[in-house]
Parts: sequence; structure tokens; C-alpha cells
Amino acid sequence: MTTHRTGTRKDWLAARLELLEAEKEHTRRSDDLARRRQELPWVKIDKEYRFETDDGSATLADLFRGRSQLLIYHFMFGPDYTAGCPSCSAIADGFNGIAVHLASHDVALSAVSRAPLAKLQTYKRRMGWTFPWVSSLGSNFNSDFNVWLTEEQQRHGGYEYNYRRAAALQMAGNEGPVAEIAAMTGTDVATYTRERPGMSAFVLEDGLVYHTYSTYARGLDALWGMYQWLDRAPKGRNETGIWWRRHDEYDKR
Amino acid sequence: MSNQVVSHEEWLKARLELLDAEKEFTRQRDALTRRRMAMPWERVEKPYRFEGPEGVVSLADLFEGRSQLLVYHFMFNPDWEAGCPSCSFWADNFNGIPIHLNHRDVTFTAISRAPFAKIGAYKKRMGWSFPWVSSYGSDFNYDCYVSFKPEQNADGKSYYNYRARANALADEVGISVFFKNESGELFHTYSCYSRGVDMLNGAYNYLDLVPKGRDEHGFNFTMKWVRRHDEY
Repeated sequence: MTTHRTGTRKDWLAARLELLEAEKEHTRRSDDLARRRQELPWVKIDKEYRFETDDGSATLADLFRGRSQLLIYHFMFGPDYTAGCPSCSAIADGFNGIAVHLASHDVALSAVSRAPLAKLQTYKRRMGWTFPWVSSLGSNFNSDFNVWLTEEQQRHGGYEYNYRRAAALQMAGNEGPVAEIAAMTGTDVATYTRERPGMSAFVLEDGLVYHTYSTYARGLDALWGMYQWLDRAPKGRNETGIWWRRHDEYDKR
Repeated sequence: MSNQVVSHEEWLKARLELLDAEKEFTRQRDALTRRRMAMPWERVEKPYRFEGPEGVVSLADLFEGRSQLLVYHFMFNPDWEAGCPSCSFWADNFNGIPIHLNHRDVTFTAISRAPFAKIGAYKKRMGWSFPWVSSYGSDFNYDCYVSFKPEQNADGKSYYNYRARANALADEVGISVFFKNESGELFHTYSCYSRGVDMLNGAYNYLDLVPKGRDEHGFNFTMKWVRRHDEY
């Protein structure tokens, strides 16, 4: 890093102006993608999903809380986890402060996980978060939106994630970055990876709920606030493995 | 809204087409990061002074022992009693993030021209924890092109977002990035303004996924719907 090229203001500005054009093009492309998402057709939801919430049992329509749009973050927290996924927790650190803004702009934001509600509530309190978080335990919701697979699917393949049929999971044993992150949730690789992250959008119109959009894998990248900041730092993302921890665990290493 | 209602299979066709465009967009974002990292750096030689909770500090002090510094230029004019509502919206997005950045050798701080007492009181009211210092009386904001003197605006010479313009506000928004090497020398590596800070607002990235999108068309300024989080 100390051998980095330095220049005068004039040199820097010339490089910066060139980059600015590319950044503007990227912003325009982002606007264009948003327009294309708005034009997507909708799929009517016919199933009666039930969720456990702070206010008791609720339907998918109830999660809109009077708004016409619903964003669901599929937070990886399976019933066997001892704590929520650290990566999802870092994403949640970014969206925790914005639920109030979205709610005033006709969008209800909620996290949904398969762990029982009591576990979600305990963990949410520990992390100091305030966004709505409900349990889908016992419902097909996570499976229907491709963020949960059975042991059977995991062993034999045939499930779908990020719009691709997946082959049987190669069990890599309990070493490597995924094992490391699985251990942070008190599980093994197989249990940890049966839950998947994603974001889904729904709309409520004339009492009917429609699925409009879902994104997975690196589709969540732009929603993971810390990365947008690191993308502007001189060293960029500067990562080789799992470096992030829950915000209250950094000093426990 | 009157979108076509289709079967899941029909929806999937449209979604897969969009997915390719989204992947291309992600790759373009990665490429922009690489270009930012390859930018030349310019030396910072002025001895800027800031006021923080522990008194007067230098730009080097703001790094808190790390080599990279991200500065959010928070619009808070010395004459105002509260910070800009739009910047406050941004702050609700980034408040939980500095602790993670710290573990990638990055220190994050907000900087505003308001005196530190005003900043401290407002930060407390909003319940934020990110570092935030005052550049009151320093050239820092002017040199970073996020504050403008009345005569600059009168001459049409406010240089904002790399363009001379006449109608800049006294304080504008931006992000500036600095590097400190082992010898303690400081470099300015990057700055962005205007819609360049768009990607750093998570809420907008979230709104870009929903059926109504940002839904700001009917307003005379885009963020008309935004309030401070305790004012909705």
C-alpha cells in the first residue's frame, strides 16, 4: 500500500472525472433495474401462511401492517441455531434503522426465520434491534421461497437456490469458512446451510397478496450496507475469509 | 399499480431475464471498486483541526490507529439547531456499520461545520453512536467542496460534484476517503457527492426492490417524504 501512485491535484482529478462517468452510468443502470423490477408480473399467493409474531398468530397479509408493500428479509436462524447467522446479523445492523422510514413510505419491512419466536425475541433483544421479526416455524413459507431445504433435498439435490437447481451438497466436513460460521450459530455445516438468505417483496391489493420479487446470494450485496462503504475505501473489501462477527462479539476473539 | 398477474412459471421467465441484468450490475459494481482502488492519491498537507468529544484533534487523529478513514460530510450548518433531515436518514442507515468497518482497517466518522456542542446534543437526541466531529472554523469542508461561501455562490463558482454551479447550498452532502501510511503521511484518495452517495443509503436500495420503487415522482424534491426518525 505504501508504494501506491500519488499525484498532483490535476492528476487525481483527471482520474476521478473518468471514474465519475462510469459511476454515473452505474447509477443510471441501478435506476433502470428498479424500473424493470416494478414492471415484473405478479404471482397471486393462494396458500394460507401462518406466522408467530409479537402480537400473536398472523397471516402474510397481517405482516403488511396497513401498508400496501411488504419486504421480507429471510434471516437465517433455524430452530437448531443457538444464535442468528452472523452475516445476516451484519446485514440487519444496516437495515435496523430504516424500517421506520420505509414504514412511512408504504413499505412494511419484516424479518422472517424458522426458529421459534421466543428464540428470535431473545436474540433481537441481545442485538438491540427494533425491526419486526416473525417466526415461520411449522409453515411452508421458507421452503416455498427457496430459503430452506430438507435434509433429504440437501443429500440428494433437486432444490433450487438463486433460481438454479442445486446438486447434492458436498459435505466438506467441519473445516473452512462455512464450518467456522456454522460454529458461530452452534450448528454444523449441514444444519447451518439448510437455511438460506434472501429478500422477497409482496404487494397487497384489494385484500389479495401477490409475490412480486425475490433475490438471493449476491443479489443481497447492495443491501449489505457495510460493503457499500468498503467499496469506497482504498483497500476495498480487503477480505480473504469470514472476518465479520456479531457486533457484540468483536472483542471476544 | 396494475401489473399483470401470472403463474409462477411465467413470472420466473421474466425474473430470470432480469437476474442476468442484475448479475451484470453486480459485476459492474465490483469493477468500479477496483477502479477506485487504483486511483492515484493526492497528499494532504494542510493541518486541519476538528473538535470532538475529547477536545481538539487533527485529521490524523481521526484515523484512531487505522490506515483508512471514511468521512461522511453531514450537512449541519452552524446556524441550524438540528442536522439535515436527509443526512439524518443516511445516518439511520450507517449508524450500525462503523463497528464492522473498524475490523477491516477502516475508521468511519461524520464531519459537520456546526459547533461540537450542537452536534453532541443532536447525536444524543437521535440515539446515534458513530463518531462525529466539528470542522467549525477550519477550511476542511471548503477544501472538500461540501461547503461554499456566499461569494462563491454569487459568482456561480460553487464547485460541487466536480462541476461549477451557481445554486449550491451553503452546505452540501458528500463522502471523502483518506489514507494514512506508516510514516504518518496523509493522502486524499476519493470523494463523491450528489447521487454518488446513493448506494450508501440502504433504504433506497431496499425501495428499489418493491413494486412502487422509490415512489417520489409527485414531489417537488425527492426526499420530501423523509422525516427525522423521531418526527414521523
